[in-house]
Amino acid sequence: MNDYKTTIGIEVHAELKSNTKMFSSSKNDFKTRPNSNISVIDLGYPGTLPLVNKGAVELALKAALLLNCKINKRMHFDRKNYFYPDLPKGYQITQARTPIGVDGYVEIEVDGVTKKIGIHDIHIEEDTAKSIHNETTSYLDFNRAGVPLIEIVTYPDMNSKEEAMAYLERLREILLYAEVSDCKMEEGSMRCDVNVSVSKNDILGVRTETKNIGSISSVGMAINSESLRQIKVLEDGGSIREETRRYDEASDQTILMRVKETGNDYRYFPEPDIPFIELSDEYINKIHDNLPVMPNVLRKKYKELNINDNNIKTIIANKDLCKYFESFVNDTNPVTASNLLTGDIMGYLNKNNLSINDINLDISNLKKLIKVIDDKKISSKQAKQLIPVMLETGKDVDVIINEMGMVQISDDKVLQELVDKVISANQESVNDYKAGKDRALKYLMGQIMKESKGKANPSEVNRLLVDTLRSI
Amino acid sequence: MENKLTKEEVMHVARLARINVSEEEIERYQVTLKQLLDEVKKIRDVKDCDKELMFSPTTHLARTREDEVDNMVSFDEIKKNAPKVVGDYIEVPVMIND
Repeated sequence: MNDYKTTIGIEVHAELKSNTKMFSSSKNDFKTRPNSNISVIDLGYPGTLPLVNKGAVELALKAALLLNCKINKRMHFDRKNYFYPDLPKGYQITQARTPIGVDGYVEIEVDGVTKKIGIHDIHIEEDTAKSIHNETTSYLDFNRAGVPLIEIVTYPDMNSKEEAMAYLERLREILLYAEVSDCKMEEGSMRCDVNVSVSKNDILGVRTETKNIGSISSVGMAINSESLRQIKVLEDGGSIREETRRYDEASDQTILMRVKETGNDYRYFPEPDIPFIELSDEYINKIHDNLPVMPNVLRKKYKELNINDNNIKTIIANKDLCKYFESFVNDTNPVTASNLLTGDIMGYLNKNNLSINDINLDISNLKKLIKVIDDKKISSKQAKQLIPVMLETGKDVDVIINEMGMVQISDDKVLQELVDKVISANQESVNDYKAGKDRALKYLMGQIMKESKGKANPSEVNRLLVDTLRSI
Repeated sequence: MENKLTKEEVMHVARLARINVSEEEIERYQVTLKQLLDEVKKIRDVKDCDKELMFSPTTHLARTREDEVDNMVSFDEIKKNAPKVVGDYIEVPVMIND
Protein backbone atom coordinates (compact mmCIF):
# COMPACT_ATOMS: atom_id res chain seq x y z
CA MET A 1 0.00 0.00 0.00
CA ASN A 2 2.85 2.34 0.79
CA ASP A 3 4.32 2.40 -2.70
CA TYR A 4 1.47 4.61 -3.92
CA LYS A 5 2.12 8.31 -4.22
CA THR A 6 -0.82 10.65 -3.62
CA THR A 7 -1.09 13.78 -5.75
CA ILE A 8 -3.32 16.67 -4.75
CA GLY A 9 -4.51 19.82 -6.46
CA ILE A 10 -6.86 22.28 -4.81
CA GLU A 11 -9.46 24.75 -6.04
CA VAL A 12 -10.53 27.40 -3.59
CA HIS A 13 -13.45 29.76 -4.05
CA ALA A 14 -13.25 32.86 -1.87
CA GLU A 15 -15.95 35.51 -1.70
CA LEU A 16 -14.59 39.01 -2.10
CA LYS A 17 -15.29 41.55 0.62
CA SER A 18 -16.64 44.20 -1.75
CA ASN A 19 -19.63 46.40 -0.93
CA THR A 20 -21.55 45.30 -3.98
CA LYS A 21 -21.85 42.34 -6.33
CA MET A 22 -19.59 41.59 -9.28
CA PHE A 23 -21.81 42.83 -12.09
CA SER A 24 -24.64 44.65 -10.33
CA SER A 25 -24.78 47.32 -7.65
CA SER A 26 -26.78 45.11 -5.25
CA LYS A 27 -25.41 44.94 -1.74
CA ASN A 28 -22.93 42.11 -1.20
CA ASP A 29 -24.44 40.62 1.95
CA PHE A 30 -26.14 37.23 1.94
CA LYS A 31 -26.43 36.79 5.66
CA THR A 32 -29.51 39.03 5.85
CA ARG A 33 -33.14 38.28 5.08
CA PRO A 34 -33.38 36.05 1.98
CA ASN A 35 -33.96 37.80 -1.35
CA SER A 36 -33.49 41.28 0.07
CA ASN A 37 -30.24 42.23 -1.76
CA ILE A 38 -31.24 41.55 -5.34
CA SER A 39 -31.60 43.27 -8.66
CA VAL A 40 -32.77 42.45 -12.18
CA ILE A 41 -29.15 41.73 -13.14
CA ASP A 42 -28.68 39.15 -10.36
CA LEU A 43 -31.89 37.46 -11.49
CA GLY A 44 -30.81 37.35 -15.13
CA TYR A 45 -33.71 39.38 -16.49
CA PRO A 46 -33.70 39.68 -20.27
CA GLY A 47 -32.27 42.94 -21.51
CA THR A 48 -30.07 43.61 -18.50
CA LEU A 49 -26.35 44.13 -18.88
CA PRO A 50 -23.54 43.36 -16.45
CA LEU A 51 -21.35 46.25 -15.30
CA VAL A 52 -17.98 45.36 -13.79
CA ASN A 53 -17.35 46.35 -10.16
CA LYS A 54 -14.04 48.21 -9.99
CA GLY A 55 -13.63 47.47 -6.27
CA ALA A 56 -13.97 43.73 -6.82
CA VAL A 57 -11.36 43.80 -9.60
CA GLU A 58 -9.01 45.60 -7.23
CA LEU A 59 -9.47 42.95 -4.52
CA ALA A 60 -8.83 40.18 -7.04
CA LEU A 61 -5.72 41.98 -8.28
CA LYS A 62 -4.44 42.26 -4.70
CA ALA A 63 -4.90 38.53 -4.25
CA ALA A 64 -3.19 37.77 -7.57
CA LEU A 65 -0.19 39.92 -6.63
CA LEU A 66 0.07 38.37 -3.17
CA LEU A 67 0.04 34.91 -4.74
CA ASN A 68 3.00 36.00 -6.89
CA CYS A 69 1.02 35.71 -10.13
CA LYS A 70 1.72 37.23 -13.51
CA ILE A 71 -1.08 39.67 -14.25
CA ASN A 72 -3.18 39.52 -17.41
CA LYS A 73 -3.18 43.23 -18.13
CA ARG A 74 -5.75 42.84 -20.86
CA MET A 75 -8.45 40.50 -19.69
CA HIS A 76 -12.01 39.60 -20.50
CA PHE A 77 -14.77 37.43 -19.11
CA ASP A 78 -16.28 34.21 -20.45
CA ARG A 79 -19.62 32.47 -20.17
CA LYS A 80 -19.82 29.01 -18.66
CA ASN A 81 -23.12 27.54 -19.78
CA TYR A 82 -25.26 25.17 -17.76
CA PHE A 83 -28.84 24.96 -16.64
CA TYR A 84 -29.56 24.95 -12.97
CA PRO A 85 -32.19 26.81 -10.92
CA ASP A 86 -29.55 28.74 -8.94
CA LEU A 87 -28.35 30.36 -12.17
CA PRO A 88 -31.39 31.80 -13.93
CA LYS A 89 -29.61 33.28 -16.93
CA GLY A 90 -28.25 29.87 -17.92
CA TYR A 91 -24.59 30.79 -17.66
CA GLN A 92 -22.08 31.91 -15.09
CA ILE A 93 -19.79 34.82 -15.95
CA THR A 94 -16.24 33.70 -15.21
CA GLN A 95 -12.75 34.00 -16.67
CA ALA A 96 -11.55 31.01 -18.67
CA ARG A 97 -9.10 32.36 -21.26
CA THR A 98 -7.65 35.41 -19.52
CA PRO A 99 -7.69 34.88 -15.74
CA ILE A 100 -6.52 37.98 -13.86
CA GLY A 101 -3.46 36.11 -12.52
CA VAL A 102 -1.47 33.10 -13.75
CA ASP A 103 1.60 31.11 -12.73
CA GLY A 104 2.00 32.16 -9.13
CA TYR A 105 2.96 30.26 -6.00
CA VAL A 106 2.37 30.00 -2.28
CA GLU A 107 5.23 28.98 -0.04
CA ILE A 108 4.39 26.47 2.67
CA GLU A 109 6.36 24.81 5.43
CA VAL A 110 5.75 21.27 6.66
CA ASP A 111 8.04 19.72 9.27
CA GLY A 112 10.62 22.43 8.72
CA VAL A 113 10.75 21.85 4.95
CA THR A 114 9.61 24.69 2.69
CA LYS A 115 7.92 24.01 -0.62
CA LYS A 116 6.39 26.20 -3.29
CA ILE A 117 2.88 25.23 -4.30
CA GLY A 118 2.30 26.45 -7.84
CA ILE A 119 -0.79 28.51 -8.59
CA HIS A 120 -2.11 27.67 -12.06
CA ASP A 121 -4.42 30.66 -12.11
CA ILE A 122 -6.67 32.95 -10.14
CA HIS A 123 -9.81 34.14 -11.87
CA ILE A 124 -12.82 36.28 -11.12
CA GLU A 125 -16.37 34.95 -11.32
CA GLU A 126 -19.84 35.39 -9.88
CA ASP A 127 -21.46 33.22 -7.24
CA THR A 128 -24.80 31.49 -7.80
CA ALA A 129 -27.97 31.73 -5.74
CA LYS A 130 -28.11 29.71 -2.56
CA SER A 131 -30.54 26.82 -2.64
CA ILE A 132 -32.07 24.84 0.16
CA HIS A 133 -33.48 21.47 -0.85
CA ASN A 134 -36.07 19.12 0.51
CA GLU A 135 -37.19 15.94 -1.24
CA THR A 136 -39.43 17.51 -3.86
CA THR A 137 -38.64 21.21 -3.78
CA SER A 138 -35.76 23.66 -3.81
CA TYR A 139 -35.94 27.11 -2.25
CA LEU A 140 -33.81 29.87 -3.74
CA ASP A 141 -32.22 32.89 -2.11
CA PHE A 142 -30.69 35.26 -4.66
CA ASN A 143 -28.77 37.37 -2.13
CA ARG A 144 -25.73 35.29 -3.02
CA ALA A 145 -26.34 35.41 -6.79
CA GLY A 146 -23.68 37.60 -8.37
CA VAL A 147 -21.47 37.91 -5.28
CA PRO A 148 -17.89 38.32 -6.53
CA LEU A 149 -15.63 35.31 -6.12
CA ILE A 150 -12.06 34.51 -6.87
CA GLU A 151 -11.22 30.94 -7.73
CA ILE A 152 -7.65 29.94 -7.00
CA VAL A 153 -6.46 26.81 -8.77
CA THR A 154 -3.20 25.10 -7.86
CA TYR A 155 -1.04 22.78 -9.92
CA PRO A 156 -1.07 19.19 -8.64
CA ASP A 157 1.88 20.05 -6.43
CA MET A 158 0.88 18.60 -3.07
CA ASN A 159 1.66 15.06 -2.00
CA SER A 160 0.21 14.75 1.49
CA LYS A 161 -2.72 15.93 3.50
CA GLU A 162 -0.27 17.90 5.66
CA GLU A 163 0.89 19.85 2.61
CA ALA A 164 -2.69 20.44 1.49
CA MET A 165 -3.69 21.72 4.91
CA ALA A 166 -0.60 23.91 5.17
CA TYR A 167 -1.39 25.39 1.74
CA LEU A 168 -4.97 26.16 2.76
CA GLU A 169 -3.91 27.71 6.04
CA ARG A 170 -1.34 29.89 4.31
CA LEU A 171 -3.75 30.91 1.56
CA ARG A 172 -6.45 31.73 4.09
CA GLU A 173 -4.02 33.85 6.06
CA ILE A 174 -2.97 35.80 2.96
CA LEU A 175 -6.54 36.54 1.87
CA LEU A 176 -7.55 37.48 5.40
CA TYR A 177 -4.62 39.81 6.01
CA ALA A 178 -5.08 41.44 2.62
CA GLU A 179 -8.75 41.98 3.56
CA VAL A 180 -9.71 40.39 0.28
CA SER A 181 -12.09 37.86 1.85
CA ASP A 182 -13.50 36.82 5.24
CA CYS A 183 -12.47 33.25 4.46
CA LYS A 184 -15.05 31.74 6.81
CA MET A 185 -15.30 28.15 5.66
CA GLU A 186 -18.15 27.47 8.09
CA GLU A 187 -20.21 30.25 6.49
CA GLY A 188 -19.21 29.34 2.96
CA SER A 189 -17.23 32.49 2.18
CA MET A 190 -14.28 30.16 1.47
CA ARG A 191 -15.03 26.83 -0.22
CA CYS A 192 -12.68 24.11 -1.15
CA ASP A 193 -12.64 21.37 -3.81
CA VAL A 194 -9.86 18.81 -3.71
CA ASN A 195 -8.55 16.80 -6.66
CA VAL A 196 -6.88 13.58 -5.61
CA SER A 197 -5.15 10.86 -7.58
CA VAL A 198 -2.81 8.02 -6.65
CA SER A 199 -0.10 6.38 -8.69
CA LYS A 200 2.76 3.94 -8.31
CA ASN A 201 4.93 5.76 -10.83
CA ASP A 202 5.52 9.26 -12.15
CA ILE A 203 2.49 9.20 -14.45
CA LEU A 204 -0.42 10.87 -12.67
CA GLY A 205 -3.37 8.62 -11.94
CA VAL A 206 -6.98 9.43 -12.82
CA ARG A 207 -8.21 12.06 -10.40
CA THR A 208 -11.48 12.55 -8.61
CA GLU A 209 -12.80 15.82 -7.30
CA THR A 210 -14.21 16.03 -3.79
CA LYS A 211 -16.38 19.10 -3.49
CA ASN A 212 -17.34 21.64 -0.85
CA ILE A 213 -15.43 20.42 2.15
CA GLY A 214 -16.40 22.34 5.27
CA SER A 215 -13.12 22.94 7.12
CA ILE A 216 -9.38 22.69 6.68
CA SER A 217 -9.15 19.68 8.98
CA SER A 218 -11.91 17.95 7.00
CA VAL A 219 -9.85 18.53 3.86
CA GLY A 220 -7.09 16.49 5.49
CA MET A 221 -9.48 13.70 6.41
CA ALA A 222 -11.12 13.72 2.98
CA ILE A 223 -7.75 13.40 1.22
CA ASN A 224 -6.80 10.54 3.47
CA SER A 225 -10.03 8.67 2.96
CA GLU A 226 -10.18 9.30 -0.81
CA SER A 227 -6.61 8.19 -1.48
CA LEU A 228 -7.15 5.01 0.55
CA ARG A 229 -10.35 4.33 -1.41
CA GLN A 230 -8.54 4.75 -4.73
CA ILE A 231 -5.68 2.49 -3.67
CA LYS A 232 -8.16 -0.18 -2.63
CA VAL A 233 -10.04 0.04 -5.96
CA LEU A 234 -6.77 -0.28 -7.89
CA GLU A 235 -5.45 -3.10 -5.72
CA ASP A 236 -8.74 -4.96 -6.26
CA GLY A 237 -8.12 -4.72 -9.99
CA GLY A 238 -10.56 -1.89 -10.64
CA SER A 239 -10.01 1.50 -12.23
CA ILE A 240 -10.70 5.08 -11.14
CA ARG A 241 -13.24 7.21 -13.05
CA GLU A 242 -13.17 10.99 -13.29
CA GLU A 243 -16.03 11.84 -11.01
CA THR A 244 -17.27 14.31 -8.45
CA ARG A 245 -17.57 13.13 -4.88
CA ARG A 246 -18.42 14.66 -1.55
CA TYR A 247 -16.93 13.99 1.87
CA ASP A 248 -19.19 12.64 4.59
CA GLU A 249 -17.63 13.44 7.92
CA ALA A 250 -19.78 11.07 9.97
CA SER A 251 -18.65 7.97 8.05
CA ASP A 252 -15.22 9.43 7.09
CA GLN A 253 -15.91 8.46 3.47
CA THR A 254 -16.15 10.22 0.14
CA ILE A 255 -19.43 9.55 -1.63
CA LEU A 256 -20.11 9.65 -5.39
CA MET A 257 -22.15 12.66 -6.50
CA ARG A 258 -21.98 12.46 -10.27
CA VAL A 259 -19.78 11.53 -13.16
CA LYS A 260 -18.25 14.80 -14.29
CA GLU A 261 -19.58 16.97 -17.08
CA THR A 262 -16.54 17.55 -19.22
CA GLY A 263 -15.13 20.99 -20.02
CA ASN A 264 -16.75 20.96 -23.46
CA ASP A 265 -20.20 20.53 -22.01
CA TYR A 266 -19.95 23.98 -20.49
CA ARG A 267 -19.50 25.52 -23.97
CA TYR A 268 -17.32 28.37 -22.75
CA PHE A 269 -17.26 31.42 -24.96
CA PRO A 270 -16.26 35.06 -24.44
CA GLU A 271 -18.87 37.17 -22.65
CA PRO A 272 -19.96 39.54 -25.43
CA ASP A 273 -21.61 41.95 -22.99
CA ILE A 274 -18.33 42.98 -21.36
CA PRO A 275 -15.54 44.32 -23.61
CA PHE A 276 -11.88 43.98 -22.63
CA ILE A 277 -10.65 45.36 -19.33
CA GLU A 278 -7.15 46.83 -19.21
CA LEU A 279 -5.08 47.14 -16.06
CA SER A 280 -2.37 49.75 -16.57
CA ASP A 281 1.14 49.27 -15.20
CA GLU A 282 0.66 52.40 -13.18
CA TYR A 283 -2.49 51.01 -11.55
CA ILE A 284 -0.93 47.59 -10.90
CA ASN A 285 2.15 49.23 -9.34
CA LYS A 286 0.01 51.43 -7.14
CA ILE A 287 -1.87 48.40 -5.79
CA HIS A 288 1.37 46.47 -5.46
CA ASP A 289 3.07 49.22 -3.46
CA ASN A 290 0.18 49.44 -1.04
CA LEU A 291 -0.15 45.74 -0.24
CA PRO A 292 -0.41 45.07 3.50
CA VAL A 293 2.34 43.27 5.42
CA MET A 294 1.84 39.53 5.20
CA PRO A 295 1.82 37.10 8.15
CA ASN A 296 5.02 35.34 7.08
CA VAL A 297 6.88 38.66 7.33
CA LEU A 298 5.33 39.38 10.74
CA ARG A 299 6.18 35.87 11.94
CA LYS A 300 9.84 36.45 11.12
CA LYS A 301 9.86 39.84 12.79
CA TYR A 302 8.25 38.51 16.00
CA LYS A 303 10.74 35.67 16.13
CA GLU A 304 13.57 38.19 15.94
CA LEU A 305 11.92 40.07 18.83
CA ASN A 306 12.23 36.86 20.90
CA ILE A 307 8.51 36.33 21.19
CA ASN A 308 7.81 32.66 21.82
CA ASP A 309 6.30 30.45 19.12
CA ASN A 310 2.99 29.92 20.89
CA ASN A 311 2.44 33.64 21.29
CA ILE A 312 3.35 34.24 17.66
CA LYS A 313 0.89 31.59 16.57
CA THR A 314 -1.91 33.05 18.69
CA ILE A 315 -1.28 36.60 17.51
CA ILE A 316 -1.06 35.71 13.80
CA ALA A 317 -4.18 33.54 14.03
CA ASN A 318 -6.13 36.55 15.27
CA LYS A 319 -5.88 39.26 12.64
CA ASP A 320 -7.47 42.03 14.74
CA LEU A 321 -5.23 41.26 17.68
CA CYS A 322 -2.24 41.26 15.36
CA LYS A 323 -3.19 44.63 13.92
CA TYR A 324 -3.52 46.02 17.43
CA PHE A 325 -0.18 44.51 18.48
CA GLU A 326 1.51 45.92 15.38
CA SER A 327 0.31 49.40 16.22
CA PHE A 328 2.61 49.64 19.26
CA VAL A 329 4.99 46.68 19.20
CA ASN A 330 7.94 48.81 18.10
CA ASP A 331 7.48 51.08 21.06
CA THR A 332 7.30 48.73 24.05
CA ASN A 333 8.71 45.49 25.45
CA PRO A 334 7.31 43.11 22.81
CA VAL A 335 7.73 39.99 24.94
CA THR A 336 5.75 41.31 27.90
CA ALA A 337 3.22 42.84 25.51
CA SER A 338 2.72 39.54 23.68
CA ASN A 339 2.39 37.67 26.99
CA LEU A 340 -0.30 40.03 28.20
CA LEU A 341 -2.23 40.08 24.93
CA THR A 342 -2.21 36.33 24.36
CA GLY A 343 -2.63 35.54 28.06
CA ASP A 344 -4.88 37.48 30.37
CA ILE A 345 -6.26 39.89 27.78
CA MET A 346 -7.16 37.12 25.31
CA GLY A 347 -8.62 35.15 28.23
CA TYR A 348 -10.84 38.05 29.17
CA LEU A 349 -11.94 38.59 25.57
CA ASN A 350 -12.75 34.93 25.00
CA LYS A 351 -14.65 34.66 28.26
CA ASN A 352 -16.81 37.62 27.30
CA ASN A 353 -17.04 36.79 23.59
CA LEU A 354 -15.37 40.03 22.61
CA SER A 355 -12.77 41.03 20.09
CA ILE A 356 -9.91 43.42 20.76
CA ASN A 357 -11.75 46.00 18.66
CA ASP A 358 -14.78 45.86 20.95
CA ILE A 359 -13.00 47.04 24.07
CA ASN A 360 -11.18 50.16 22.98
CA LEU A 361 -8.08 49.31 24.95
CA ASP A 362 -5.99 52.46 25.25
CA ILE A 363 -2.48 51.75 24.01
CA SER A 364 -0.74 54.24 26.30
CA ASN A 365 -2.46 52.67 29.31
CA LEU A 366 -1.45 49.17 28.19
CA LYS A 367 2.12 50.38 27.71
CA LYS A 368 2.03 51.75 31.24
CA LEU A 369 0.96 48.34 32.51
CA ILE A 370 3.79 46.67 30.59
CA LYS A 371 6.23 49.10 32.18
CA VAL A 372 5.08 48.55 35.77
CA ILE A 373 5.32 44.80 35.22
CA ASP A 374 8.79 45.08 33.68
CA ASP A 375 9.90 47.38 36.52
CA LYS A 376 8.53 44.80 38.97
CA LYS A 377 6.33 47.41 40.58
CA ILE A 378 3.54 44.87 40.59
CA SER A 379 3.76 41.09 40.54
CA SER A 380 2.38 38.95 37.73
CA LYS A 381 -0.26 37.77 40.17
CA GLN A 382 -1.30 41.35 40.79
CA ALA A 383 -1.31 42.01 37.06
CA LYS A 384 -3.81 39.17 36.71
CA GLN A 385 -6.15 40.94 39.13
CA LEU A 386 -5.58 44.32 37.56
CA ILE A 387 -6.22 43.44 33.93
CA PRO A 388 -9.96 42.67 34.14
CA VAL A 389 -10.47 45.92 36.05
CA MET A 390 -8.52 47.84 33.44
CA LEU A 391 -10.48 46.23 30.60
CA GLU A 392 -13.84 46.75 32.25
CA THR A 393 -13.41 50.29 33.56
CA GLY A 394 -10.79 51.71 31.22
CA LYS A 395 -9.22 53.35 34.28
CA ASP A 396 -5.62 54.47 34.29
CA VAL A 397 -3.22 51.74 35.43
CA ASP A 398 -1.68 53.96 38.16
CA VAL A 399 -5.13 54.76 39.52
CA ILE A 400 -6.07 51.06 39.67
CA ILE A 401 -2.80 50.18 41.39
CA ASN A 402 -3.49 52.79 44.05
CA GLU A 403 -7.15 51.91 44.47
CA MET A 404 -6.43 48.21 44.79
CA GLY A 405 -3.49 48.91 47.11
CA MET A 406 -1.28 46.90 44.79
CA VAL A 407 2.01 48.65 44.91
CA GLN A 408 4.59 45.96 45.30
CA ILE A 409 6.98 46.28 48.23
CA SER A 410 10.50 46.36 46.85
CA ASP A 411 12.06 48.51 49.52
CA ASP A 412 14.88 46.42 51.06
CA LYS A 413 14.44 47.89 54.52
CA VAL A 414 10.75 47.02 54.73
CA LEU A 415 11.31 43.58 53.23
CA GLN A 416 14.20 42.81 55.62
CA GLU A 417 11.93 43.57 58.58
CA LEU A 418 9.40 41.07 57.24
CA VAL A 419 12.12 38.46 56.69
CA ASP A 420 13.48 38.88 60.21
CA LYS A 421 10.02 38.69 61.72
CA VAL A 422 9.13 35.46 59.93
CA ILE A 423 12.52 33.87 60.67
CA SER A 424 12.28 34.51 64.38
CA ALA A 425 8.76 33.11 64.48
CA ASN A 426 9.69 29.92 62.59
CA GLN A 427 12.86 28.65 64.18
CA GLU A 428 12.02 25.05 63.34
CA SER A 429 11.87 25.77 59.61
CA VAL A 430 15.17 27.58 59.80
CA ASN A 431 16.71 24.46 61.33
CA ASP A 432 15.12 22.29 58.64
CA TYR A 433 16.62 24.56 55.99
CA LYS A 434 20.02 24.33 57.61
CA ALA A 435 19.60 20.53 57.58
CA GLY A 436 19.20 20.73 53.80
CA LYS A 437 15.43 20.60 53.45
CA ASP A 438 14.57 22.88 50.54
CA ARG A 439 10.90 22.69 51.33
CA ALA A 440 11.52 24.81 54.39
CA LEU A 441 12.65 27.73 52.21
CA LYS A 442 9.40 27.59 50.28
CA TYR A 443 7.44 27.55 53.49
CA LEU A 444 9.29 30.61 54.81
CA MET A 445 8.78 32.42 51.50
CA GLY A 446 5.07 31.68 51.72
CA GLN A 447 4.91 33.06 55.27
CA ILE A 448 6.63 36.29 54.25
CA MET A 449 4.33 36.77 51.27
CA LYS A 450 1.36 36.16 53.54
CA GLU A 451 2.70 38.64 56.07
CA SER A 452 3.02 41.26 53.29
CA LYS A 453 -0.50 40.48 52.04
CA GLY A 454 1.02 39.41 48.74
CA LYS A 455 2.63 42.77 48.11
CA ALA A 456 6.24 41.82 48.65
CA ASN A 457 8.36 41.54 45.55
CA PRO A 458 8.98 37.77 45.48
CA SER A 459 12.39 37.78 43.85
CA GLU A 460 13.66 40.42 46.28
CA VAL A 461 12.25 38.46 49.20
CA ASN A 462 13.92 35.31 47.96
CA ARG A 463 17.26 37.06 47.72
CA LEU A 464 17.02 38.62 51.19
CA LEU A 465 15.75 35.41 52.78
CA VAL A 466 18.58 33.27 51.38
CA ASP A 467 21.18 35.87 52.39
CA THR A 468 19.76 36.13 55.88
CA LEU A 469 19.57 32.35 56.39
CA ARG A 470 23.16 31.94 55.25
CA SER A 471 24.34 34.57 57.71
CA ILE A 472 22.68 32.91 60.68
CA MET B 1 -17.68 13.35 -43.62
CA GLU B 2 -20.97 12.03 -42.26
CA ASN B 3 -23.67 14.54 -43.05
CA LYS B 4 -25.64 13.96 -39.92
CA LEU B 5 -24.99 13.77 -36.19
CA THR B 6 -25.36 10.52 -34.28
CA LYS B 7 -28.44 9.95 -32.21
CA GLU B 8 -26.27 10.07 -29.08
CA GLU B 9 -24.87 13.47 -30.00
CA VAL B 10 -28.35 14.92 -30.38
CA MET B 11 -29.46 13.40 -27.09
CA HIS B 12 -26.39 14.78 -25.37
CA VAL B 13 -27.15 18.30 -26.56
CA ALA B 14 -30.77 17.85 -25.51
CA ARG B 15 -29.66 16.78 -22.06
CA LEU B 16 -27.41 19.83 -21.67
CA ALA B 17 -30.35 22.02 -22.70
CA ARG B 18 -32.62 20.09 -20.32
CA ILE B 19 -35.23 19.41 -22.99
CA ASN B 20 -37.08 16.25 -23.94
CA VAL B 21 -36.91 15.22 -27.59
CA SER B 22 -39.05 12.62 -29.34
CA GLU B 23 -37.62 9.94 -31.66
CA GLU B 24 -38.95 11.90 -34.61
CA GLU B 25 -37.28 15.10 -33.41
CA ILE B 26 -33.99 13.33 -32.85
CA GLU B 27 -33.96 12.16 -36.45
CA ARG B 28 -34.73 15.65 -37.68
CA TYR B 29 -32.07 17.31 -35.48
CA GLN B 30 -29.45 14.79 -36.58
CA VAL B 31 -29.64 16.51 -39.95
CA THR B 32 -30.54 20.13 -39.16
CA LEU B 33 -28.20 20.55 -36.20
CA LYS B 34 -25.36 19.23 -38.38
CA GLN B 35 -26.18 21.78 -41.08
CA LEU B 36 -26.11 24.51 -38.48
CA LEU B 37 -22.75 23.41 -37.10
CA ASP B 38 -21.30 23.27 -40.59
CA GLU B 39 -22.32 26.87 -41.17
CA VAL B 40 -20.64 27.94 -37.93
CA LYS B 41 -17.51 26.00 -38.87
CA LYS B 42 -17.01 28.32 -41.83
CA ILE B 43 -15.76 30.94 -39.37
CA ARG B 44 -12.66 28.80 -38.96
CA ASP B 45 -11.82 29.27 -42.60
CA VAL B 46 -11.42 33.02 -42.17
CA LYS B 47 -7.75 33.74 -42.79
CA ASP B 48 -7.36 36.44 -40.14
CA CYS B 49 -7.99 34.13 -37.20
CA ASP B 50 -4.56 34.41 -35.59
CA LYS B 51 -5.33 37.92 -34.35
CA GLU B 52 -6.57 38.55 -30.84
CA LEU B 53 -9.95 37.11 -30.14
CA MET B 54 -12.67 39.54 -31.20
CA PHE B 55 -15.93 39.08 -29.42
CA SER B 56 -17.36 42.53 -29.19
CA PRO B 57 -18.39 44.78 -32.04
CA THR B 58 -16.77 47.72 -30.25
CA THR B 59 -13.08 48.30 -29.73
CA HIS B 60 -13.45 50.43 -26.63
CA LEU B 61 -12.79 49.03 -23.18
CA ALA B 62 -15.34 47.87 -20.65
CA ARG B 63 -17.03 50.49 -18.59
CA THR B 64 -16.62 49.81 -14.88
CA ARG B 65 -18.54 51.15 -11.91
CA GLU B 66 -17.70 52.28 -8.40
CA ASP B 67 -18.33 49.76 -5.62
CA GLU B 68 -21.46 51.52 -4.31
CA VAL B 69 -24.89 50.08 -3.54
CA ASP B 70 -27.66 51.15 -5.90
CA ASN B 71 -30.62 49.96 -7.98
CA MET B 72 -31.87 47.07 -5.90
CA VAL B 73 -35.42 45.81 -6.38
CA SER B 74 -37.81 44.69 -3.67
CA PHE B 75 -38.75 41.06 -3.36
CA ASP B 76 -42.39 42.12 -3.74
CA GLU B 77 -41.61 43.22 -7.29
CA ILE B 78 -39.67 40.05 -8.05
CA LYS B 79 -42.44 37.83 -6.68
CA LYS B 80 -44.68 38.90 -9.54
CA ASN B 81 -42.46 36.96 -11.96
CA ALA B 82 -41.63 34.01 -9.71
CA PRO B 83 -43.25 30.64 -10.45
CA LYS B 84 -44.02 30.12 -6.74
CA VAL B 85 -43.02 31.85 -3.54
CA VAL B 86 -42.80 30.37 -0.04
CA GLY B 87 -42.00 32.89 2.69
CA ASP B 88 -38.92 34.80 1.61
CA TYR B 89 -37.88 32.14 -0.92
CA ILE B 90 -38.61 31.34 -4.55
CA GLU B 91 -39.74 27.76 -4.86
CA VAL B 92 -38.68 25.55 -7.78
CA PRO B 93 -38.74 21.78 -8.44
CA VAL B 94 -35.84 20.02 -6.73
CA MET B 95 -32.73 19.32 -8.80
CA ILE B 96 -29.97 17.45 -7.05
CA ASN B 97 -27.45 15.14 -8.69
CA ASP B 98 -29.37 15.29 -11.95
